[in-house]
Amino acid sequence: MGERIRYRKLYVLPTRGRSHQFSLPLKESIRIGKRDYPIQLKNDERFGTYVLWKNRKYPVEVVRSGQNSYEILFNDITYNFTVETPFSYRRRRTLTKAIQSPLSGEIKAPMPGKITEVLVKEGDTISSGDTIAVLEAMKMENEIISAISGTIARLYVKQGSTVMKDDPIAAVVSD
Amino acid sequence: MVEKYHLFSQTNFYLWFSAVTAPDMPVSAGGILNLRSGRQYMEIEGKSFRAFRERESRLKERDGKKEREKQHKRGKLTATERIDLLFDSGTFEEIDAFVTPCNSEADFGKVDKVYGDGVIAGHGKIGNRLMFCYAQDFNVMGGSLGAVHAGKIAKTQEMALKMGAPVIGLIDSGGARIQEGIASLSGYGRIFHNNISSSGIIPQISVIMGPAAGGAVYSPALTDFVFMTSHTSYMFVTGPNVVREVLNEEVSFADLGGAEVHAQKSGVAHMIYDDEENTILALKKFLSYLPLNNIEDPPALPSPGPGSRGADNRLREIVPDDPNKGYDVKEVIRHIVDSDSFFETSALFAPNIVTGFSRLNGRTIGIVANQPKVLAGVLDIDSSDKGARFIRFCDAFNIPILTLEDVPGFLPGIDQEHMGIIRHGAKMLYAYSEATVPKVTVILRKAYGGAYIVMNSKSLGGDFNYAWPTAEIAVMGPDGAVAILYRRELESAEDPAALKNELVQRYRERVANPFIADEKGYIDEVIDPAVTRQKVISAFDALRNKCVKAPERKHGNIPL
Amino acid sequence: MKIKRVLIANRGEIAVRIISTAKKMGIETVVMRTESEPAALYTELADFICEIDEGVAGGHRFLDIESVIGAAHKTGCDAIHPGYGFLSENAYFAHKCQEQGVIFIGPPPDAIYKMGNKTIARDIAISAGITVARGSQGNISHHEEAERVAATIGYPVIIKAASGGGGRGMRIVRSEAEMERMFNMASSEAAKAFNDPSVFIEKYIDSPRHIEFQILGDHHGNIIHLGERECSIQRKHQKLLEEAPSEALNEELRSEIGTLATEIARAVNYHSAGTVEFLLDADSNYYFMEVNTRIQVEHPVTEMVTGIDIVELQFRIAEGEKLPIEQNDVRIEGHAIECRINAEDVQAGFAPDPGRVERLNLPTANHIRVDTGVTEGSVIVPGYDSMIAKLIVKGDNRNDAVRRLKLALDKVWIKGVKTTIPLFRMLVRNRDFIGGHYYTDFLEKEVTQYHYNSYYEEKIAAWLAVRLFIRENWGDETDRYDEGESGQVSPWLLNKRLRQF
Repeated sequence: MGERIRYRKLYVLPTRGRSHQFSLPLKESIRIGKRDYPIQLKNDERFGTYVLWKNRKYPVEVVRSGQNSYEILFNDITYNFTVETPFSYRRRRTLTKAIQSPLSGEIKAPMPGKITEVLVKEGDTISSGDTIAVLEAMKMENEIISAISGTIARLYVKQGSTVMKDDPIAAVVSD
Repeated sequence: MVEKYHLFSQTNFYLWFSAVTAPDMPVSAGGILNLRSGRQYMEIEGKSFRAFRERESRLKERDGKKEREKQHKRGKLTATERIDLLFDSGTFEEIDAFVTPCNSEADFGKVDKVYGDGVIAGHGKIGNRLMFCYAQDFNVMGGSLGAVHAGKIAKTQEMALKMGAPVIGLIDSGGARIQEGIASLSGYGRIFHNNISSSGIIPQISVIMGPAAGGAVYSPALTDFVFMTSHTSYMFVTGPNVVREVLNEEVSFADLGGAEVHAQKSGVAHMIYDDEENTILALKKFLSYLPLNNIEDPPALPSPGPGSRGADNRLREIVPDDPNKGYDVKEVIRHIVDSDSFFETSALFAPNIVTGFSRLNGRTIGIVANQPKVLAGVLDIDSSDKGARFIRFCDAFNIPILTLEDVPGFLPGIDQEHMGIIRHGAKMLYAYSEATVPKVTVILRKAYGGAYIVMNSKSLGGDFNYAWPTAEIAVMGPDGAVAILYRRELESAEDPAALKNELVQRYRERVANPFIADEKGYIDEVIDPAVTRQKVISAFDALRNKCVKAPERKHGNIPL
Repeated sequence: MKIKRVLIANRGEIAVRIISTAKKMGIETVVMRTESEPAALYTELADFICEIDEGVAGGHRFLDIESVIGAAHKTGCDAIHPGYGFLSENAYFAHKCQEQGVIFIGPPPDAIYKMGNKTIARDIAISAGITVARGSQGNISHHEEAERVAATIGYPVIIKAASGGGGRGMRIVRSEAEMERMFNMASSEAAKAFNDPSVFIEKYIDSPRHIEFQILGDHHGNIIHLGERECSIQRKHQKLLEEAPSEALNEELRSEIGTLATEIARAVNYHSAGTVEFLLDADSNYYFMEVNTRIQVEHPVTEMVTGIDIVELQFRIAEGEKLPIEQNDVRIEGHAIECRINAEDVQAGFAPDPGRVERLNLPTANHIRVDTGVTEGSVIVPGYDSMIAKLIVKGDNRNDAVRRLKLALDKVWIKGVKTTIPLFRMLVRNRDFIGGHYYTDFLEKEVTQYHYNSYYEEKIAAWLAVRLFIRENWGDETDRYDEGESGQVSPWLLNKRLRQF
């Protein structure tokens, strides 16, 4: 067949901010300025899995892994990454430019709890910042606020519904 | 063809020539001895070898810079690149690389003379196991399917069936080649027929990496699993243009038959990924769970041993005390199977049932689990279809089935009844009962009524049926049961609510628990959730050589 | 009368905290064990355990007056320490204890009642000569009335539950348009949380600091204060970090407000420990807020800088002893900061993240104190608050304390649940926080990202993702296939041969 596809680089895309580049084969070190600092992945009884870098231990845990998406809890902070090859990285950039989907989406429950009040109905027009529903969790009432302006296309909950974290509450279609 | 080219070492030259014996070639001892000398070499090249080289270079064109760019601009890879990604390095061998479209000489003149006719077919190793594959090349006449193109695919299918090796179709085709008319259509028919003859004998997988329209959608539909790539792949029987003409409805390609639509709504696509490379990487991972054919066992990894993980206390905590609260059954799965081994299929379609492959002590198992997090894990039309198809695949390919049950029943409602929940629910029942692979069930919580029987109950032939102490096995949920059993008492009670509460409580304690079923032998054991992994491993171990001889018949009549 | 055995009607870290002082004083301890936390640390440390079933109908037994007092009787306790939360500020409970001959370790029921009702408390403060922010005269029952009152005192206003605390039933209203919805929400939340829907309205002071004074009084009329605590790092009115002393007070102001705090206590014949809360605006005007008639979560910072064991004094006061110190004996040395490490996901809007604490390694040093009710393997259950531990660090001065806190935070090692540690890591690097320039809505207004984000940490995490990707996708799976099986003749072939026979 053709020349074998060989990758010299992999990109890591965080949900926000700039991407990180790693050349292949992957080195067991992280570069600061001109120096490489070795990085080690270890595991022991007292600390569980951890990374040893610059003489310091950092706790690490892989929370979720998809095909090329990873949720990594590193030093108590959650990172959501996708790992991209040069081609998929380029593709992602061309496609996001080409598709530019309308700002529609689902409003999801930020935490598990019970819906004590629903303030909108299907077909209502809302603007970003409006309260959609009230969620009672840990004995606190939390307002669920829409980050999108548009029309409520669908309501997934009613008063008294119990929701889990990330369950959809409403689907909003922007006009 | 760089790699193949390298294979022709000088000695191979000789072998090749002696086999073919080109007419003008002086096959003399001297000639062979001087083979390395420049003059002789030129002489060889000057004859038939030049034609050979020329053809080879024509073949290379299909993966030239221009062709690559064309596909890359669409966000796609070329057929060659896809095959490179899929197969172990240097193992792919192409067949029929130089066939040309059948009526390329015809006056129609619309068909270019292209080697290979828009499809690359062949075999190679994936994970060091033999697999067959065909990849349509969108750069050649839009990947359209002509008679020769179809013949290559059919040939691949037939070879795979003889060899007992899986077939993978990488589909990127505009549809039937109009110029070739009936010949093209008949080609589809042949492919479909082969799909069906191979069904249940070798795994067939379709990867949609571009359009698949019209009749072309039915070959993927007949295969066992369909992978799609987001944004660049579409499947529909009639395209948006026809929809506009006939129904006067405007619909985009993506909304009509994009990957998301098929993954979430129609259930046609089992797996979708963001880009082609990850689609192929995921496919390779997926293949590692499957056997090559219906006689072999799936490949096993060295067993970590049943005791490699101690009692897992987390399993005791996942099921909430409140029976009305949901939880994520996938977390239960992750705590039972080998770490990181769960590969979910049809994750987005009918999410109230979870299906997927996993490894248990190194061996592949199929998992069917009710998902209490979505619609309380109820069985409805879509989830019955999804479950039944998955169970039948497992049964056909010797993959033992683990069922994790927490099901409140079938989804009630006019909609469901009128759409035929009876027919669809029956599929699930049929699939479970028909399956002769090892079947183990763990009842996590609710197991009510008909749905309890459906979910691989003992009476359907479950080999080992376990229950957690949290299980509630009964004809119906406490509220419903109490309302029927004590209707009169409740009507005449002074405080019906209080009486109902008390009766519900009593029903839970006395009827809806796993101990009665245990004592009567309808389940094999009530187990501590923390040792579920160990229990299930030893159950499947005991069932390794399970052999059921079903009476001979042509085939059963599953309620489709 | 010496207390011989005490029932601790609480759980978690405060129960552990009380047990440790009781042990030091030779008092036997009894705790109540519930079904949802059968192996909690406090149950292991206590001398005796009293088993209780958790209530079926929602409410739980730490809130059930009859069963708590019943437990005290059954186990032969002569006193009950309520800790914080639950029944600690329930006047009826304190009264019931007295009536049933059990010492209630806390103020007299009358003081609890008066201070617990914010409307009465405000009137008392006014008559003691303390400024309070303008507000409604008494409770408000309808949003229209609320709109009228708000119009006279001017927006923004804050709605508070009359018998509230801890941020529940509290809403800030910035315009009349919001009033109806906010009022109804606050009222229903108050009804649910405190069984009392009554609310009142106050002028809302923008960017205030939360300053509270620890007071101690005995049965002999002596009342002193132990200086202030600054609790302005809050989110949705929940305190997250407290320190003592406050950067915002000088010695003069400290003594002025401190004296007023003792005045309020004196007005209700207060004894035991309590806290008088004030709001301090940018011009050092202070307004009385409320009195908490119990031990506070954040009491350790005061203990760290004064060297006084407040729980010990609570016991001794309850036994009828005179305060062993006078106001002039109270010396504040150094600076202490407390971080509340909660099982919350800072990046997901502080959503509770209950679960099992898989690993727990907390720093130890002379200047560090950790109060915790959990151990490795403990489960943070969703029903209770989500606190894992309180990390208290002391320094010679504030800068020193912040520096030590920064180091200590890097030594906290918790796995299994997400915690508020990233928030504190961010704070100790925040210029305004380091400079002591902050106020109660500082987090909401000035901070855009609630967690410390280091480029290199993100890079390491990204490196891990790449490593996983390579292992999962390009790791040679075939090397791992079980040799014992794949070495055999293919059954497909065997099948063919069999058929040929």
